[in-house]
Amino acid sequence: MTTTLDTVAGAQPALATPPVAPPGRRSSPRTRARADRGVVALGLAVAVVLAFLVGYPVLNLLSAAFAPDGLEVLRRIVTEPTNHRIVLNTLVLGLIVGVVGTLIGFLFAFAQVRVAFRGKRALHLLAMVPIVAPPFAVATAVITLFGRNGAISNGIFGIKGDIYGLSGLVLVLSLSFFPVAYMNFRGMLQSLDPSLDEAASGLGATKLRILLSVTVPMLVPGFAGSFLLLFVESIADLANPLVLGGDYTVLSSRAYLAVTGDYNTSAGAAYSLTILLPALLVFLVQRYWVSKRSVVTVTGKPTGHSEQIRAASIRVPVLVIVGALSALIVTIYLTVLAGGFMKVPGVNNELTLDHFRFVLTGIGSKAMRDTAALALIAAPIAGVLGMLIAWLVVRKLRRTSALLDFVGMLGLAVPGTVLGIGYALSYITPTVFFGVQVLPALAGGTAAFSGGIAIVMVYITRSLPSGQRAGISSLNQIHPAIEEASTSLGAASGTTFRKVTLPLIQSALVSGLTFAFARSMTTLSPIVFLTTPGLKIMTSQILAEVDSGRFGNAFAYCTVLIVIVLSLILLINLLVRKVIFRGRTHSR
Amino acid sequence: MVALTAVDDSDALTEAVGLESPASSGRITLAGLSKRYGAHASDPLAVDSVDLDIEPGEFITLLGPSGCGKTSTLRMIAGFEEPTAGSLDLDGADMIRVAPNRRPMSMVFQSYALFPHLSVRENVSYGLKLKRVPSPRIKEEVDTILTIMNLMNYAERAPHQLSGGQQQRVALARALVMRPKVLLFDEPLSNLDAKLRVQMRNEIRRLQRRLGITSIFVTHDQDEAMTLSDRIVVMNKGRIEQVDVPDAVYRRPASVFVADFIGRATFLDATVVCAPEHGRAKIVALGLEFETACHADVTLESEVLLMIRPESVRLSSRVDADDVHDDVGRVLTTIFHGDSVEYEIETDSGTIVASVSDPVVDDILAPMDCVRVSIAPDRGWLLPKAAGDDALLEPLH
Repeated sequence: MTTTLDTVAGAQPALATPPVAPPGRRSSPRTRARADRGVVALGLAVAVVLAFLVGYPVLNLLSAAFAPDGLEVLRRIVTEPTNHRIVLNTLVLGLIVGVVGTLIGFLFAFAQVRVAFRGKRALHLLAMVPIVAPPFAVATAVITLFGRNGAISNGIFGIKGDIYGLSGLVLVLSLSFFPVAYMNFRGMLQSLDPSLDEAASGLGATKLRILLSVTVPMLVPGFAGSFLLLFVESIADLANPLVLGGDYTVLSSRAYLAVTGDYNTSAGAAYSLTILLPALLVFLVQRYWVSKRSVVTVTGKPTGHSEQIRAASIRVPVLVIVGALSALIVTIYLTVLAGGFMKVPGVNNELTLDHFRFVLTGIGSKAMRDTAALALIAAPIAGVLGMLIAWLVVRKLRRTSALLDFVGMLGLAVPGTVLGIGYALSYITPTVFFGVQVLPALAGGTAAFSGGIAIVMVYITRSLPSGQRAGISSLNQIHPAIEEASTSLGAASGTTFRKVTLPLIQSALVSGLTFAFARSMTTLSPIVFLTTPGLKIMTSQILAEVDSGRFGNAFAYCTVLIVIVLSLILLINLLVRKVIFRGRTHSR
Repeated sequence: MVALTAVDDSDALTEAVGLESPASSGRITLAGLSKRYGAHASDPLAVDSVDLDIEPGEFITLLGPSGCGKTSTLRMIAGFEEPTAGSLDLDGADMIRVAPNRRPMSMVFQSYALFPHLSVRENVSYGLKLKRVPSPRIKEEVDTILTIMNLMNYAERAPHQLSGGQQQRVALARALVMRPKVLLFDEPLSNLDAKLRVQMRNEIRRLQRRLGITSIFVTHDQDEAMTLSDRIVVMNKGRIEQVDVPDAVYRRPASVFVADFIGRATFLDATVVCAPEHGRAKIVALGLEFETACHADVTLESEVLLMIRPESVRLSSRVDADDVHDDVGRVLTTIFHGDSVEYEIETDSGTIVASVSDPVVDDILAPMDCVRVSIAPDRGWLLPKAAGDDALLEPLH
């Protein structure tokens, strides 16, 4: 059954009159053609919003990179050995983190879904912590624990740890990004049909053999997809190379230096272009090639419970590795928590409340309020925009839906550094098209709200994709006939969306909103190019504290930020579930 | 049990649904209704200028193979698809420009399309709430319809807690409570098991008769069409092949396609020997000359096919294999159904399917047996052979 543009497009205000057209009245207040135009207008509006959010900044970045200054830098990237070194560093980092992070994610997911042990919920929460943690938490804690004066490296083993450079970056980035792979594998493992295992077992295979000859081959697309995502995340990351890179320069930190140190935005644009291209390429490969190879069919229905593996040949090695990594993660986050209460964490462990006083009452309190306010503005916009795009893509548009979906997802594919420089290029000056000023300056200290609008826009762009994905997959699970039934019973398009569609995609909306909020609060790389003296953003404040070695303040910031994010996630969940939908949930 | 309740409460139902005199409203007129899904003129028409007059209170079935345009036609009437051309009137009022939610019609979906987040009661009262009916009134009407549909005990359940048959009844209750002028059914029984399907189909028919609501029912199941309908609309490739009462569609199909789609039919080559008069023609088939009813288009020159239903074939007892009459055939296969035996019999005029009801075990023919084949008096139907018919007949020969 084809769903056409006009399926639920009788977009009329809900009237009190019964849905009976009096005989003789030739037309309803709105004709069908005009209702279609309403959808077209909505689609165009979304397209314009996306153009300002992603398209225009990226285009400006491209034009800056290909301006004479930028071209000069591009030429040097190709010719100069120093630059070759940087490119090579970036690629090596991406490759190693891609492999290590994917493996960690797989092991965690495999243990979670298939291996018998107690404490699964704790393991799941542990794997999710990095998502709500700010980018520096792990890096700073790792320095405190394993650095030159590290609590463990020096304090216990008495060695001068050398954590700065590739090894430290791999450790930190793998621990920060593996949740992406974990979530990916967890979904795939859960939807694997357990009868496959039973069939292999019936043919005489041992548990280990089943794992290696059935389960792992089925997950090949998952390995490829996770590797690619982690590769992009790690080559695009800015925070950790700045803190932990030492002499190990990568493209993103080079771009940052070009902009903030040399005040050469074109050079920054050129450097970040070299991240953008592989990132986009990987994104396209992941999206249009890997996802099509998937042999795991997600039906949305649990296919029965897969058996929990007790065989020691699998259980022991998996649980030992996962346990060790979990202990490391716990240690790191305990360090973050405890470090906030120590004078100089790892060196002078005297207890103090100074750091929290600084964060909660000093400059930090303004940063807290500013960041939370901006993220709170951005989250609902991103959540609703994501749902709207999902609705247009799944239900309303036909030929243009793939394009709209792609552009919406760009916020995830475009590295933060690229986005930040693009925004700086685009919105520090008023936006002018053909001699007509379309927008005033949105970024920079002199702009309205001290450049807060641009930051909100960045937040929206970065958090849009998660809501969009969640919306698309949950809309795809709702049979179009359910919406048609509502229409048939007299509901106009808007009423149907409010009373039927929205309640059915509410969990997607909630997860979209929470992801949006968590992502906004913890975003750094695009923000460092847009902060202004009048506006304090927590993540860039943390960067400043780490830069000047005040780890205690940084830890206190991180703890406060995690608490804010977690409590707001809780609050959003409660609000959306209890107030808007009056506790109505459904199960299918 | 269910059926009984429906009968017992029929007066209450009539009262509750408060119908106007059955014949007063619900006349639907389709004229030249067409639907093309692609944007180009070269794309095929899913529905090709359909003309149809549906009387108030009539039960019409749109019947045809998948892709014949029946569902598209129904969805155009409901307003879910916009016609490419043509007009659609309800009681003389143009419906094309009326949005689907403002048409006085209710649809029952194949997948039931119950709102999963609402209870049975909330599902049924959904439309009335949108109409701003006062809530005491809503409760009253919903209670009545739930009682009639034997769903009162399940009112507070969620749809996924109900069985398929119960879900189907909720869907029906949800449509009926709106007191629509027209009920639209999109293959509503195809997800039910065979027994429940028969039960629901009787229930639907009974309710519809009582309420006198014009109903349009889409199905590809000829049994459903036969038992439910006042008239059957047989569709093929976007066009209407025949509109008639079930008996006529079965006995006097308008085309080889209809004859083949509805029930089983055997087609024998025949020759017209003198010009047909008053719908009857003298023909030669199976080596015999006899008179039979014929389609209006048959002339002396037409190439014709003689349609015979399996139950109209008469078989003699076994004859010797060397008996060389034109009406002697050889049994190819024998299929025992319990209440009948079905034979495929090869004759000089083609392969005939014959069905013998209430068979006596000793008399059941075996493959390779030879019998004399004849046709029960006045049971044949002569059709002109059209261009595409050979393709339809291919599997038989």
